[in-house]
Amino acid sequence: MNNQSELRKLSYLTFRNIKLYFKDKMTFLVSLITPIILLVLFVAFLQSTYEDSILSIVAGFNLDQSLVDAFTGGWLFSSVLATSCITVAFCSGMMVIDKINKANIDFLVSPVKKSTLQLSYVLANLFSTLIIAFVLLAVGLIYLACVGFYIDFVDFLLIVFSIIITSLFGTVLANIIWTFTRSQGVVSGVCTLVSALYGFICGAYMPLNTMGEGMQAFVSLLPGTYATVLFRQGFLNGVLDEMGQTLPAEMVDGIASSFDVKMSFFGTDVSTLGLVLVITISTLVLLGIFILINSLRKKAKAKINRLVA
Amino acid sequence: MSHIIEIKNLKKYFGEAKAVDDISFSVEEGDLFAFLGLNGAGKSTTINILVGVLNRDSGECMVNGFSVDDISKILPSIGIVFQSLVLDKKLSVYDNLRYRAMLYGMSKKEFEENLEYFINRLDLKPLLKKQLDKLSGGQKRKVDIVRALLHKPKILILDEPTTGLDPKTRKLVWDMINEFRKNTNLTVLLTTHYMEEASLADNIVIIDSGKIVAEGSPLTLKNKYANDYIKAYKYDKAILEILEKDKIPYKKDKKCLEIKFKNTDEAKNFLVKHSALFKDIEILKGSMDDVFLSVTGKELKENV
Repeated sequence: MNNQSELRKLSYLTFRNIKLYFKDKMTFLVSLITPIILLVLFVAFLQSTYEDSILSIVAGFNLDQSLVDAFTGGWLFSSVLATSCITVAFCSGMMVIDKINKANIDFLVSPVKKSTLQLSYVLANLFSTLIIAFVLLAVGLIYLACVGFYIDFVDFLLIVFSIIITSLFGTVLANIIWTFTRSQGVVSGVCTLVSALYGFICGAYMPLNTMGEGMQAFVSLLPGTYATVLFRQGFLNGVLDEMGQTLPAEMVDGIASSFDVKMSFFGTDVSTLGLVLVITISTLVLLGIFILINSLRKKAKAKINRLVA
Repeated sequence: MSHIIEIKNLKKYFGEAKAVDDISFSVEEGDLFAFLGLNGAGKSTTINILVGVLNRDSGECMVNGFSVDDISKILPSIGIVFQSLVLDKKLSVYDNLRYRAMLYGMSKKEFEENLEYFINRLDLKPLLKKQLDKLSGGQKRKVDIVRALLHKPKILILDEPTTGLDPKTRKLVWDMINEFRKNTNLTVLLTTHYMEEASLADNIVIIDSGKIVAEGSPLTLKNKYANDYIKAYKYDKAILEILEKDKIPYKKDKKCLEIKFKNTDEAKNFLVKHSALFKDIEILKGSMDDVFLSVTGKELKENV
């Protein structure tokens, strides 16, 4: 009965947090800055740059325009999703906003467990991110259906998995940071910084192999890069297979490497399973750290209470 | 009547600062109990300990029969109105009330029934669908108090609920609280630095620098610590010579003569002795301001 009641409280708190995020237009817009920048860049010059780049690789071969459009479109939406799953997770958290508005004091004096409250922030953060990510996925799929659709069911599942695991990764990482702050300045700062920088360091704005060697080595140490490559594979595997019908395998391989559909870790190719394991294990490690931090804080408070008693 | 709140030898220090320094008091069930003091006197620290937000350094705190160490058993019986609004400005009034009520384990049916009670009494219906930040200050406060009362608590804690509110809204807040007290056996624990609010209480504790400096009913406190005054509007000038001779303090202006006495008996005796010299008078009991000034040596107005 108690667990049932706590579960209901969790669901209401989670729902409240999600609703608050979507009602706060400013926070909502800030969290979508990166995908908006990407769309603008794509329309302004990225699409034609990548098109030219592909056409220069396949010079002498007659490649269907729908394949080129599907490739650039898939690249765009894999970038949009790879960044949004992180930036929205960082900007949609209500934990610090509640601390600033002092709503958290009201929750602290309500008969709701602190762990329920904490979990509601994480879940709301995750669901808000997932809602936006799946809306963006739907938009992407509609766009690709118009220009050229080559995503099979397995690749679709890979995209869905990538959305879920990347959103969870971003959510847990953000909540670890939010646990230590009560300042709106820190939240805005981190949110803006992540929104502005993440697109660069995960290879969303430009392919990794266009970066310098030092930068490439650095980003290959970040779990987010592996998530981006997973998104690329989900969106572009089908197009590359289709390109393989008219182009030599080496050429297709060259396109895959140039556009981050393949990734190597200091010279060693990383398989799809390898990519999945890196991002999954990283997420689990972060989750462990988050649980540890919260249980240590809880124990510290219990110890003070025992000393008083 | 039984004690619904009982505090014994409570201490809370923040480093060298003694926020609460060995205080003891109890609150009877159904009472309006006022906790009076300047900012930083220790009122909010005590409240925060009572509701589990702060840990105490030592002492005992019992609320509704449970120690504050068992805070989960206490919280369902408490409603709190904070100094600042804690509601979500971007949500509707209905959503605000619903999400907060659900934290008390209410079913949707229970929530609707309880809400109906307040809708009927407080004319809430036109506000329910409005976003909170579209409401006036008074309307927001009204909703905030409903939030604290929706789960039908036994104890309502009002932590300076009217600070910063205009007189009209302050009256509205008190009308609401009094209306609810009339119909239930609600205990109200009020912290305030408004004397007029404190003087409505059944019992008052005055706290200064973390220590209790006076306690009792407003009448007891006034009798013990406040002066009595005779205000004379028409009088024989001879009375001034008597006041000077007996060294009785007084103030005189164009309208009246105000004579200060230590207590009611002194004022009464003086009046009986010199009744022939007075034609139009009134006797005034000292105010809570006098009590506060007398026991703390400080004026509340300076701090508000």
